[in-house]
Amino acid sequence: MTATELATEGRPVLDSREALYALARWAVKSACDAGADEAAVSVSRGGSYELSRRDQRVEKAAASRSMGLSLEVLVDDRFSSHSTSDLRLEALKVFIRRAIDATRLLEKDRDRRLPERSACGSSELALDLHDRTYAKVTSEDRRAWAEQMESAMLAHEGRAAMRSTTAQWWDGWSDSVIVYSNGFEAEREGTFFGMGAELTLEDKDGRLPEAMGFYSTRHFEDLPSAEQIAEEAWTKGEERLGSGPTESGRYPLLLDRRAAGRVLGVLLGPMGGASLHQGRSCLQDKIGEQIGPETLSIYDDPTLVRGSRSRHFDGDGFPSIRRAVMENGRLSMYFLGQYHARKLEMEPTTAGASNLFIAQGDRSVGAILGSLPRCIRVDSFLGGNSNSANGDFSFGIRGMLFENGEPVQPVSEMNISGNLFTLLPRFAEAANDTWRYSSVVSPSLLFDDIQFSGL
Amino acid sequence: MTSGKIDAPIGIGDDYFERFGVSHEALAKVLSAAMARGADDCDLFFEHASSTAVVLSDGIVNRAFTGVDLGMGIRVVVGDQVGYAYTEDLDVGAMIDAAKIAAEIAQGTRSIAPVALTPRRYADRYPVGRRWEAVGIEERIPLIRGWESAAFARDPRIEKVQVSLSDSERVLQVVRPDGRLCVDYQPMTTAFVACTAIDGDVRESGAYNVSSRSDMTFYQDADRCERLVNKAVDRTLFLLTAGKPPAGELPVVMAAGASGILLHEAIGHGLEADFNRKRVSIYADRIGQQVAPDTVTIVDDGTLDHARGAINVDDEGNAAENTTLIQNGVLTGYLHDEISARHFGVPSTGSGRRESFRHAPMPRMRATYMLAGPHEPEEIIRSVKKGIYCETFANGQVQIGAGDFAFYMRQGYLIEDGKLTQPIKDVNIIGNGPAALEQIEMVGNDLKLDEGGWTCGKEGQSVPVSQGQPTILVSNLTVGGIGA
Repeated sequence: MTATELATEGRPVLDSREALYALARWAVKSACDAGADEAAVSVSRGGSYELSRRDQRVEKAAASRSMGLSLEVLVDDRFSSHSTSDLRLEALKVFIRRAIDATRLLEKDRDRRLPERSACGSSELALDLHDRTYAKVTSEDRRAWAEQMESAMLAHEGRAAMRSTTAQWWDGWSDSVIVYSNGFEAEREGTFFGMGAELTLEDKDGRLPEAMGFYSTRHFEDLPSAEQIAEEAWTKGEERLGSGPTESGRYPLLLDRRAAGRVLGVLLGPMGGASLHQGRSCLQDKIGEQIGPETLSIYDDPTLVRGSRSRHFDGDGFPSIRRAVMENGRLSMYFLGQYHARKLEMEPTTAGASNLFIAQGDRSVGAILGSLPRCIRVDSFLGGNSNSANGDFSFGIRGMLFENGEPVQPVSEMNISGNLFTLLPRFAEAANDTWRYSSVVSPSLLFDDIQFSGL
Repeated sequence: MTSGKIDAPIGIGDDYFERFGVSHEALAKVLSAAMARGADDCDLFFEHASSTAVVLSDGIVNRAFTGVDLGMGIRVVVGDQVGYAYTEDLDVGAMIDAAKIAAEIAQGTRSIAPVALTPRRYADRYPVGRRWEAVGIEERIPLIRGWESAAFARDPRIEKVQVSLSDSERVLQVVRPDGRLCVDYQPMTTAFVACTAIDGDVRESGAYNVSSRSDMTFYQDADRCERLVNKAVDRTLFLLTAGKPPAGELPVVMAAGASGILLHEAIGHGLEADFNRKRVSIYADRIGQQVAPDTVTIVDDGTLDHARGAINVDDEGNAAENTTLIQNGVLTGYLHDEISARHFGVPSTGSGRRESFRHAPMPRMRATYMLAGPHEPEEIIRSVKKGIYCETFANGQVQIGAGDFAFYMRQGYLIEDGKLTQPIKDVNIIGNGPAALEQIEMVGNDLKLDEGGWTCGKEGQSVPVSQGQPTILVSNLTVGGIGA
């Protein structure tokens, strides 16, 4: 289909992949006709559903279908990016013309370029991100799944004083194409399904600790059962009853597999091209340096089958490649897209992390905790941040104090603080409980000797 | 109040959305479809937003971003149950399809008599002389360049400067079955200066920003522009020599201004009435109780001229107001949207807000601040033997039910024997909301609303807010420092 087959006015009907391509090609051509030397256009469509239940009835039902177009243009070595959801052709013509006019007013930056066509990826990888059963999902199915989730939560009533529980179901799909003026064209599509619940319990002191269990997957069949999610949410809720701070001091930290991403963020922030380019990265000139123990390797894997952030190509159009972020404790890469790589005179990798993968170890969490006289297992974070310029971090935490493997005190209102370069060498062991329902595919991780502040 | 008393900004009349084919006749059809299954209420929310950001880095103004967003959302309400759908296509057929999806929450049949739509304007808190749409990129560039050179000129240790100027305008229209039709033009602008400094082996990065519902004249204030640059540089240089406080429980003095983050996290979210309607907030069932010393009065105010958190009308078509949350230590009210207001049998406080037409509204803060108290700020610092003084912040978070909250202090000082001594940086501070309220021992006489671009996130929706506070002393919070 060619651009001329688009309607000449009104909104294009984006009811097929070809229609997305037709609009994207038309927009690239329009931008180039208006004066762009290079143009990149992405056109996407998608839909989502969300259903929540509380007090044994539907609390909220939401449905959406959306479309959008984004455009990057280079005009005489000047660069700008634009997005719109107003896809009426007349409006798009004005939008594109204004984009080009605005770009002409900027200053030249020769490091802005689209990648060479030969450097771009394709949609060939078999990532299995689209569940073909999605099209058969009905409103009745959604209602039934949300009801199952709520029933599973309510089946535990009586384990502890419950104030409220809300069950949720959500799903969605997306379909997008990307067209560059250099001839690169590719597409991506995906589905997601999610189920979970929030639980609020009543504590003796009047506090109302919350716990939640949420799972999101690419394929319906990969979701755990409502009963499993409910059991986890209730167990977590019960573990938060009677929580409070314990004594300040240095403790071993067992980072729950679901909480690993927040701590990895301390490492990823200074690995980014913008941080390096702006001189606010503590990892500058540290490629190849030993910053962690030899037992610690971390990979960025956009090719993970059914992975939550798997992708055929990245934001620049570069093909997806599994890369070592850190291998045997040595820093292996920076996250550099085309632009920052040129600025820093380095080879590009990819502009941002996809799925992070850490291999699991041999021992169970129970065995690890049982081998330690005292240890705080951190389950989730509250507030906190890190400083990419020097690697300092400080996070609020919730979790459980264990003594010789026995849970002795639920902890909250505490912080952990430290620095990336002292944290990483204290990595001691990965448990054997890899978590696969997130973009951080990690087991629980044990660190020695971490500063906790509490009483 | 009616439209006759308040001037609409140029080109933003009550008929604004008719340019997209949204006539009163079309609105009547969509309202009818939304209510057709016997709903109690509904609202149609139209939005046409455009934004521009221009960025300088490496000494060149080398990047611009523009965005356009157009669409409408339909919420159908049955009791406290909500059906929601949206469309980016404003054709009447597409809107009726969305209305039918939203109406599925209702289970009956009903036809509503068409009500004549009557435009309403409640206030004019952010008038503009010229719309952002009319401001060319070339007008923004000299400002950005000026700030960059001023920053470099301040100190030779400044190695990198990044500047951005972002602005947006959002025209919204709320239509209700009772005949209300509210159109509002909501401008916003934010200027941001970030610096990286190097001194020996120490490298630090700091930033400052100013934000307001204003037009380009906001930047004609030379003092403001000077402050934007100077604070960005000063904050960066401060970090070069700052250390860490000890870990553990300490008295905390919160400086006037951005310290309002404490109120936002420790109190504000917990007083949003959706959480209290569901009784999952730690403040549920506590109206009328003494929750803080009587020097503490806290409001959430949507009526401050040009404030980032100001609104003329909320996203449900209700007038914004100045809502008292805590009066002399007594919990007096919650922040209501219409659903919670009906639940509690009170009027809405005009706090029903949403990120965009893609979301249903819910109770949200606007500008949250504590009124001034009796103490001189110096007197408050003098009263502390060993503690910390918090001056600037990055982010915060709260657990509504447990009441635990945290905020991340970017910079501050140790207090030793009543004096500010060692500069400190980058620590998370954590406490429990009701306990912290009770522990507010002194309230300063120096209330200040922070001028920065704060954004509040709740259930996946972001809205602009303001916050402020006089200097206060909280006798005990847990500081994420190092060592004992």
